[in-house]
Parts: sequence; C-alpha cells; structure tokens
Amino acid sequence: MRDIFLDLSIRSVRLNFVRSILASIGIVIGVVAISSMGMLGANMQLSVKQQLSSDVNTIMITSDVVRTTSTAGTPVSAQGIDKSTLNDIKNAAGQNEVIPIHRTSTQFTIGSTDGRGQIYGLDPNDISKFLTIDEGDNVRGANDALVGANIATNFNMNVGSRIKIGQNNVSITRPTVRVSGILASRGFASDGVNTDNAIIVPDTWYTDQYGNKDLYDQVNVIMQNIDQINQTEASIDDKVNRRSDIIRVTDASSRLSSISSTLGTITSFILAIGSISLVVAAVSIFNVMMMSVNERVQEIGILLSIGTEKGEIRRMFLYEAFILGVIGAVVGGFASLVIGYSVVSAMIGNTAYFFMPESIMYVPYGMIIGVAVCIASGLYPAWKASNMDPIDALRSE
Amino acid sequence: MSGKPLIQLVDVSKIYHLESGDFTALNHVSLDIAENEFVAVMGPSGSGKSTIMNQLGILDVPTTGSLFIDGKNVATMSNLERTHMRRDVIGYIFQKFYLIPLLSAYENVEYPLILKYKKRDESGRAWEVLKSVGFDQNMSAHRPNQLSGGQQQRVAIARALVNDPKILLCDEPTGNLDRKTGFAIMDILINLHKEGRTVILVTHDPKIAEFAHRTIELEDGRIVSS
Repeated sequence: MRDIFLDLSIRSVRLNFVRSILASIGIVIGVVAISSMGMLGANMQLSVKQQLSSDVNTIMITSDVVRTTSTAGTPVSAQGIDKSTLNDIKNAAGQNEVIPIHRTSTQFTIGSTDGRGQIYGLDPNDISKFLTIDEGDNVRGANDALVGANIATNFNMNVGSRIKIGQNNVSITRPTVRVSGILASRGFASDGVNTDNAIIVPDTWYTDQYGNKDLYDQVNVIMQNIDQINQTEASIDDKVNRRSDIIRVTDASSRLSSISSTLGTITSFILAIGSISLVVAAVSIFNVMMMSVNERVQEIGILLSIGTEKGEIRRMFLYEAFILGVIGAVVGGFASLVIGYSVVSAMIGNTAYFFMPESIMYVPYGMIIGVAVCIASGLYPAWKASNMDPIDALRSE
Repeated sequence: MSGKPLIQLVDVSKIYHLESGDFTALNHVSLDIAENEFVAVMGPSGSGKSTIMNQLGILDVPTTGSLFIDGKNVATMSNLERTHMRRDVIGYIFQKFYLIPLLSAYENVEYPLILKYKKRDESGRAWEVLKSVGFDQNMSAHRPNQLSGGQQQRVAIARALVNDPKILLCDEPTGNLDRKTGFAIMDILINLHKEGRTVILVTHDPKIAEFAHRTIELEDGRIVSS
C-alpha cells in the first residue's frame, strides 16, 4: 500500500493538473538545456580528442634557435635541426621511429590554376609510417608526389595530375611533379604534419630544389610505447639541450590537454547558460508550491488538529515538489535525447560519440539536477505549511 | 485510575496580544472534568467557548495557569507529544466537519489509524467504526464534497473515534445540520457517552445542551455557572 501522504500529493497534483504541468514544463526546459548543452560540449571534446589522439604518440622536435646575422641583429627564419643534432636525437630515441621532416610554403600551379600551400619533403620510406594513402600509391619515381585530401578536391586532382611547383613566372621553367597518390584527410594533425592542404615530395626532390640538405625543419619521433613518452622526451632533451636550448621538444598530449581544458571551460560556460533556465524553473516551482500551500491552509489546519506530525506535513509537500520534478525530468530526459541529438548533429556534424557514456550521462545528470531543483524549491513552502498555527489555519476559508 | 479528574484546568488564562491591545479570552478559569462526564459548554459569541475548546484540544496552550489532560501537564509537553495526544487521546468533531477534501469518506476515517500505526489499516477497524455511526458503506468511496451534511458529520465522528480516544470534543456538531439530522447525530454522541467516553460539547442550542449531564456557562472568559 502506498504512503497516504504520497497519495495526497498525487491527488493535489491531479486536482491542479494544468498548473502543475505548466510548472513542470519549466523543469523540462531546464533539463533539456542542461542535458543538451552538456552533450554538445562532451561531443565537441570527444570528437576533437579523437582527432588529436590519433597521433598523440608522437614527439615533435623543432629548432629553438633563432640565428641572427652578425651585423644587423635581425632574426632570419632559416633555422633548423642539423645532422649532428638529428643523430643525437636518434641515439636518444632508441628503438622508436625518427622521422626528419623538411617543410616550407610554396606557390604552385595545377593546370591553369595557381595556388599556395605547404610542401613537405619526406623520405618515401617514412611516409607510410604515419600517413595513409587513400587513392593511388606511394611515391616511387624522383618526381612523384602525394597530395592532401583538400587540395586534391579543391583543384580537381587525380592520380597522374601534374603540379608545377614555384611562383608562376613566364620567364622561368618550373619543376613539375606527378601525383602518384592522394592522402586520407588528417584534419588538424597534432604531430604538426598538416597534409590536407599540402604536397608531399621525396626528400631528395625537396633538397634538390630548396637546398639545406642536412637541415631539417622538424623531427618527429613516433613512440612504440606511449607510456615511455615522457622518459624519451627527457632523454632527448638531456642529450641535445646539454649546454643551451637548441631544440624544443613537445608532444600532442600537452596540446591535447590544453585544448581539452579550453573545451572544458567552454562546456562549463554553456552549461552555466543552460542552468539559468533551471533557475527560472525553480522560481516557477516555488510559486506553484506556495500557491498549493496557500490554497490548502484549511486542509493543513485539519491535518494538524487531528494529530498529523509536522514532519508528515512537510513530507506531503516535498512529495508534491518531487512529483513535479519527476514529471519534468522524465519528459525532459526524453526531449533531451531528441533535441540533444539534433543540436549535436547540427553543430558538430558528427553524432558518432552521442551515445558514449561521457556524452549520454548528461541526460541522467540533467534529470537528477531537475528533480533536486524541484525539491529544493519545495523546501520553504513545505516548512511554511508544517509550521502553521492549527487554529489560524482551521479558521481560514 | 486514581480519583484525579481526566481534565483539570487550574487558574487558566488565555490572553491574545492584538494591535488594539490585549484581549483576555479566558480569565482565571478553573474546572475539573471527570472521566465519562457529558459536559455542555454554552455562552454567547466571544465568551471564550472556542478558546476553551482549543485549550482542551491542545491546539493552544494557556498563557498562565495549568492544564492537565489525562494526568499530563500540557505546558511541559513537547510539540510532538502534543501532536500524539491529539491523535490518540482526543477526538475532535467540528461544526464544519473539516473532512480532508482529497480523501474519500473511508480514507478520512482510516487517516488517523495511518498516523498512529504508520501503515494502511488492515484490521477492518475503519470499516467497523464507519458502520457503527450508521454510514452507508456504498458511499465510502465518495469524496466529502459528494456527501450530505449529515453524512459528512457521521464520517467526521467516525474519524474522531477510530483511534479510540478517551475524550470527544464536539464544537457545535449539529450547528450546520437540520434539526432532524442534528438529533440523529446527538443520538450517536449519547451512545458514545454510554460506552464510557468523556464528551464535551459546545453549543448555542439549549435543546442540545439538555442532553448533557452538566452545563458550563461562559461569559467574558469566565465561568458563570457550572
């Protein structure tokens, strides 16, 4: 058998059905706001993390030296990691793959269209170690090249297309490369090799064109075991930066954590905006509960005069607030799934992470918060009801 | 039980502090009511009838003086103890019936049992009492607003009786009923008195007061005849 005070509360809610439902709608909106904002944030974090963590096992090493000309003191951009530093890195890296990278930005022409983008010079053997070829094959000949996914789409390139590298100038004959393959999209690559808008050529072709044969712009170390990443970084740092800082050693995990923390802040911010609607809902629940108490003063007087304990009166009104909260939370929970899914798919364009625990947990969170807000809003009205003077309460009409 | 009266008022005063000044509703009232008495309390409006009933129903406490009910000093009892005494020792019957509007007739009678035993009644006690006051069982699922005045008062009496109280406080129980129904209700009260309960009845109606064995007349917060 049910608690009679729960019965009384259910009947009171039923008696004032429209009013109760309207108050619950406030909670529905609050729960939906919190849940879908939370899920939006979580999906944003998850999708960014997924993109970044694909190459989180990579240590990036760049030059920390700004070489200055002896006379004017103006910094020049030609900086890099020389052969001996590379050897030191290789020694420190042990079994792990060390990938030296040449990189610069260049103009190019495809057919009659000019463009600008990054050009990477890589040892053809290294390419397959961290890049995925979507279409065609790896470079074989000296004049072969790979292109990124975006550049291929934008310039309508296929395997076999030809690219003239360098500034479009009629008086100069520019070197030409042939597209042997098109790379899979990498998105924002946290190992610093952003290939989507880039052309990848063999290192020999690169140094033939740009010189600086033994000077690299970046060296990546791909870890076999990610747990040793800090150890390896320390040993590289020890070995190379013995006297002064020659290189800068970073990895994606630090960037990942800083991006995650930024996204976490954004998520908290949008959650805070969502919770404003719950504050509004709390006010409306409070209002409805006060109305319920004020309308039932005489009934409270009867209950008190025939021996109902104060705590039992409080319980009756808290049940009522709880019922409003549960109605709001359940409807809000279902609505959050629908609205949250739509928001995530509209704003992130990817719902692959929607049903993961980190994202979907915001639905029960929102529901629990909704119910808790309702009960909190019912505390004062319940207290007020239980502390009425039975004589005054009985006399009121 | 010793020879001690069931209800004892010793020099009880009740003073209300109003904006217009203090109002003395009960003025040094002393009164003993023994077990199984049938007492009528009469007096004009404002004479203190309601105030004395609120004192006896432990809805209020005296400003000065002492009130003993069933041997206990009301002033020294905790709030919870007073609540339990209202539930277990006193049955209150009101002029306006004061049934709980959200509960059915049966549930209204069952309610004090639930308060006492913290569970629904499975003993059939509520049915038994409803039947004993002549309530039509077919109406037991009806809400108070679907019942006539006489039916409502029968339910109210059943509710007052269900926890087997020693004292029945009746505040103008026939005041809202027609004469015939009023007398039917009085018959029930007379029988309850015969069964051994102490009945205290407030009324305007000398005809109703005649049923009592003793009449206390109040005027301006004092007992003028007893």
